[in-house]
Amino acid sequence: MMMAEVSVNSTPREARALPSDLKQVGVVAKYDVMKYLRSRRLLGMLIIEAIVLIAITVLLATSSNPKTADGVVGQYAGFATILIVIGATLFGGDAIVSEYQGRTGYLLFPNPIKKVSIIIGKFISAVAAMVLILVIYYAIALVAGLVMGNGFSTLGLASLGLAILYGISALAVAFLISSFMKGTAGSLILTFALFFFVLDIISSIMGQLGGIKPWFLLNFAGSSLSYVTTDPFPVDSVETLDIGGGQSFTFYSFYPDIGLSIAVMVAYAVVALVLAYLIFRRREMSA
Amino acid sequence: MGDPIVIDRLTKDFDGFRAVDDLSLTVRQGSFLGFLGPNGAGKTTTIKIMTNLLAASGGSAVLNGIDVVQHPKEALAQVGAVVETPEFYPYLTPNETLAYLGEIRGMTREDISRRTKEVLETVKMTEWADKRIGKFSKGMKQRVAIAQAMLHEPSVIILDEPTSGLDPRGMYEVREILNELSKHDYTIFMSSHLLNEVQEVCSDVALINRGRLLRSGSVEELLEQASVKRIEVRTKQQMSGELLNSISKLEGVQELRASGENQFMFSLTGKDEEQAQMLLRLQSLGLNVVSYKESGLALESLYMSLIKDSR
Repeated sequence: MMMAEVSVNSTPREARALPSDLKQVGVVAKYDVMKYLRSRRLLGMLIIEAIVLIAITVLLATSSNPKTADGVVGQYAGFATILIVIGATLFGGDAIVSEYQGRTGYLLFPNPIKKVSIIIGKFISAVAAMVLILVIYYAIALVAGLVMGNGFSTLGLASLGLAILYGISALAVAFLISSFMKGTAGSLILTFALFFFVLDIISSIMGQLGGIKPWFLLNFAGSSLSYVTTDPFPVDSVETLDIGGGQSFTFYSFYPDIGLSIAVMVAYAVVALVLAYLIFRRREMSA
Repeated sequence: MGDPIVIDRLTKDFDGFRAVDDLSLTVRQGSFLGFLGPNGAGKTTTIKIMTNLLAASGGSAVLNGIDVVQHPKEALAQVGAVVETPEFYPYLTPNETLAYLGEIRGMTREDISRRTKEVLETVKMTEWADKRIGKFSKGMKQRVAIAQAMLHEPSVIILDEPTSGLDPRGMYEVREILNELSKHDYTIFMSSHLLNEVQEVCSDVALINRGRLLRSGSVEELLEQASVKRIEVRTKQQMSGELLNSISKLEGVQELRASGENQFMFSLTGKDEEQAQMLLRLQSLGLNVVSYKESGLALESLYMSLIKDSR
């Protein structure tokens, strides 16, 4: 029989000082980044990004239309929202719920660390992954603008800033969903569905059919990252179409205001993250 | 310094169901307390409150003088815990997992390196130190879980059914670790429903049922109080209905039942004197007794009688 003898080489000793909450945030963030690197989510994201970049670059390179640097970057920016949606799903969609469903919370939570440090640490690592993806994407877009558009797109930089802000707010919403969902798969699907088509459907119904400018919806505010590269900036319009029989149909085209969109995205980020924390703090490991 | 664990009038309600009911318990410094109770008694719920996994509905759980309900970070500073069978981050190795938890606890790089080596050696996981945990067996994970609970040299270790779900070899290995822990200056709070485990390694025991404390004290004291024994008897002759009928009429015999052609069992209230007298009475009935022994553990007898009374 094995294990004839075991030894516990140490006895308890004087209590050591606990690190600050802030330092613990850094520890959580560091090991969460390791999760992205080793779980291949980051790699998968980079592969998707590469495919998108190659497809847009080939299309632009083979097009004979005259190009400007802002126009080229604008083409890339149009697809950045898709990357942000996928990134928010992969990096934030199961950030909290996985600790419960995967039972790793039994390992982490009995340690002397506040839940606020855990959630902020996780959020910082998710934001870092998102920013990495977007910076690589825009760096290539800006280089493409330089080569194909013969100039540097300063509006492209503005688009990058808006993309990062949209990414942060989308991650915050993903964290919020992850804080109350019971299953990882459900949380990932809900996050993806919300950004990929649910919000789009709502804003379309409200805007195009109802005539209500959906400035308060996150996806509408996020679309500013694409419009910011167009010069002149598009303005809202109303078009009435006569469909016969004395009837007409009115089409509304709304465009986000940059300043208001920034405010909306900041508000979503702050409110969603605070709500996620409050739900996480109260959530128990009861299963 | 006061008692390291003081639970006072602790209560936990789940949607109208009271899982822990006004539980008060004190664990003395350096003791190894077995927290016993049947499934659903409230053991894990109590431990989850003590480790900040659940919020209490009322009362307090004070660890090293700090209320864990009010100040969980400070209260858990000198506590190591294994609750249920925790899962690990599959992308980390034991070395990295221990580094993660050590850094959270403010250990220096040197401390983490030294202690990781020591605790993994203790739980016989050294050769797996750099393998990712994702594909470890349950027993291996449990050993890493115990390692992380010891990593920061805590004064209090809380273990929730540490051998639960393990195969016999895994149970044996974990029990060896528990035995070794009991020789050191830790205060250990271990829930279990395995009475032999508790009787083997614990110095103190607390019995709960339906969230309420039934009895607590040192194992020795409680065994002293255990007055109901289950006796198993094997005879040379076959047991007839007539013989069994005669035995059932003997003073002190309860719950008599045949357990084979020439075997029977019964409960006896009393201590060694009564047990010796009973043997004489059985022989006086003409029984050729081949063996006459207590069945099961004394702690089990006490446990069963207390559980029965509390229903």
